[in-house]
Amino acid sequence: MGFLRLLSRIWDTITSLTRPPNAATLFRRADLYRQEGRFEEAAELVAQGLRLAPNNGVGHLLSAYLHLAFRQIGPAKSEFQAVLQVDPYHPRALLGLAKIALEERNLAECRPFLDKALQYYPDFPEARALQEMVAGWTTAAAAPGQKPAYAGSPIQVEKLKPPAGGREFVLTQSDGTLVFSQHGDKDAEDLAAHVTQVYRIASATLQRAGLGVLRRGVVQAATESSFFRSNDRFILALSFPHDVKIGFGLLETDKLWTNSLRELGVRA
Amino acid sequence: MSPEPAPPVRSARAREFRRILAEMLKIDRVRGGLVVAADGLVIAASLPRGVAVEPLAALAATLGRELEVGADRLKRTPFQAAHFSADNGTVFLGSSPVGFVVVLGDREVNVGLVQWALRKALASLEGAWGTPAQVPARPEDM
Repeated sequence: MGFLRLLSRIWDTITSLTRPPNAATLFRRADLYRQEGRFEEAAELVAQGLRLAPNNGVGHLLSAYLHLAFRQIGPAKSEFQAVLQVDPYHPRALLGLAKIALEERNLAECRPFLDKALQYYPDFPEARALQEMVAGWTTAAAAPGQKPAYAGSPIQVEKLKPPAGGREFVLTQSDGTLVFSQHGDKDAEDLAAHVTQVYRIASATLQRAGLGVLRRGVVQAATESSFFRSNDRFILALSFPHDVKIGFGLLETDKLWTNSLRELGVRA
Repeated sequence: MSPEPAPPVRSARAREFRRILAEMLKIDRVRGGLVVAADGLVIAASLPRGVAVEPLAALAATLGRELEVGADRLKRTPFQAAHFSADNGTVFLGSSPVGFVVVLGDREVNVGLVQWALRKALASLEGAWGTPAQVPARPEDM
């Protein structure tokens, strides 16, 4: 019997090396590749696995992650939803959809996903961190169909002139209400929404790292550098062409910040 | 079915991430860092005691994505690097094809030096994927 068992084990080993891997093996390998940042190879294995097991939740979850890694948001969303078809309370799929809703600035959709993920898995640190972050976000009240308007003392616009080379100057309240913008119209609203979102997420990140509340920020891109200045109530953002010296940008942003607070009647 | 590629290739990217993180951690007053994919997956991490990896990674990836998505919405070019300062330190964030490199510095950290080192590290990562980005020769040129 012992000899037969040994023969059987050898046979199993040989056939496992020659037969095609099953879906579970493919997904396992794909996850290893993904953890090494080898997204292209991982995606190929996941596609193979899903051809073998089209309703496999693990496969759809991996596929969603890889779409996110490639910044393909629509397909990622569909794949997270496919996971929820298999398991409606899958915490990672719920977290994925919450993150996408956050990117889409759809807070009303984001919160229930996080709540649901934490309802059954309260020890889920990523979901908890995002839930705590969005819990503190307030939205300015406005009449139906109207945008929230700044209700503070009127500002003398001519005193808030950005420095030479400075552009896209915007001043908002921490709830996203636009206080002042160099440009009028919808562009200003979009810029204010982005600036507010960056302020909120950067503040949460700094606090999570034990460093305190956001005071200054610099975002560098190929064509411009944007400078942020903030306190608990207001956020200022100002951009310069990409070749600006960081020290100059910080200095000019500080000057504009001081002037803005003076105009707003707020002590620095 | 296609076989797995040879082992030396398999770990090259992971090794490169760890090497970059180790280089950043050598800078004076840098207290920690991590490499996180856009989906929040932690690829490499070394953080100070008391700072949990997963929550910080989730927030840093969310911040990186907002900077990417916001630039796209505003029809700006994609962000390359950013830093955000508070009273007790600074969070640096660099964008790469694989996700985001995050570095934590204390209140005395040399912001210019870390920015420059981060841009250099990102350029070497870019090199592994395609064309490396141009980085000034010295921190003071930034």
